[in-house]
Formats: sequence, structure tokens, C-alpha cells
Amino acid sequence: MSFLGFGKPQPTSAERISAVENELKVVAEMHSRMVKICTLKCIDKTYREGELAKGESVCLDRCAAKFFESHQKISEQLQKETAARGGGMGF
Amino acid sequence: MDTGLTAAESRELDQRLQKRQVKEFMNLFGNLVDNCFTACVDDFTSKALSGRENGCISRCVMKSMSTQTRLGERFGELNAAMSNELSNKNI
Repeated sequence: MSFLGFGKPQPTSAERISAVENELKVVAEMHSRMVKICTLKCIDKTYREGELAKGESVCLDRCAAKFFESHQKISEQLQKETAARGGGMGF
Repeated sequence: MDTGLTAAESRELDQRLQKRQVKEFMNLFGNLVDNCFTACVDDFTSKALSGRENGCISRCVMKSMSTQTRLGERFGELNAAMSNELSNKNI
């Protein structure tokens, strides 16, 4: 991460630490959401076995990949739509 | 990860991350209880868990931890790939 000064006041120490912490927080939250959703979509709720079945494992792998792709697609589309609709989101 | 922090700031960040990890573990534990209880326990003719329910809960915990591990690996790979893509775009 870099901060380009350009005459703005430099971020304080606290701000720099928080920035990194927040970035990691965002990543951790995404991970947690993905686990919850992919468990819901892929894991047999009757829990007849204590080990992942082959089908479940493959489903989890694909679920993770699609989750990321959806994340990126939605991010791009949201940016585009937000800009097209005048930048604000009604806040 | 190059975060651009000083040594002292890094230490502060590490402390915060440790606290965050404890919190996340507690969240994981909570989700596990909610998930496995909901999936396995639905017989309230008795106060004690039946043999069937006990077995189900054990298997649920095992499977959930395997799921967590597998998705953790996939997430790491996908996140790294996504970061690479983003930094390539910014070049």
C-alpha cells in the first residue's frame, strides 16, 4: 500500500496501522462469508459421514472459485452502474 | 507482506491481529455450535442428546473442520491470484 503525499497531510501512525488492519479485516470477512455460504451449498446436512465426500470436496473447490469470480464481476458492475447513475448511491 | 509500517507499528498491528484472531476463533466456535445443533438436533422428547444426535454432532464437527481447511487453501490461492490481477492492472 502506498500513500501519495501530493501536499496532503501525511497519515498518522494510528491511521497507517488501522489501514492495514482494516484491509486484513475485509479479507477475513470475505473468507468467513465464503465458508458459510459454500458449506450451505455443498455440504450434506444429514452428516452421515465425518469426512468430506469426493463430491463435496469438488463442490467446495468450485464454489470458492465461483464466489471469487462473482465478487469481481459484481465489484466491476457496481462501479460501472454507480458511475452511470451519477456517482452517488442516494446517501 | 510489505505494509510500509515501522517496526513499532508492526508490533502494534501484530497485537491487534492476535486479539482479532481470538475473536474470530470464538466466532468460528459459535457458528459451529449453531450449525451442528441445527442440523443434528430435533428430538425434544428427551433432555439429553441421543446416541444418534451425539454421533451426528461429532461427524458435523469433523466435517466442518475439514471444510474450513479446504476452503482456507482455496481462498488463499484465489485471493493471491486476485491480488496479482489487480496489481497487474494498476501497472
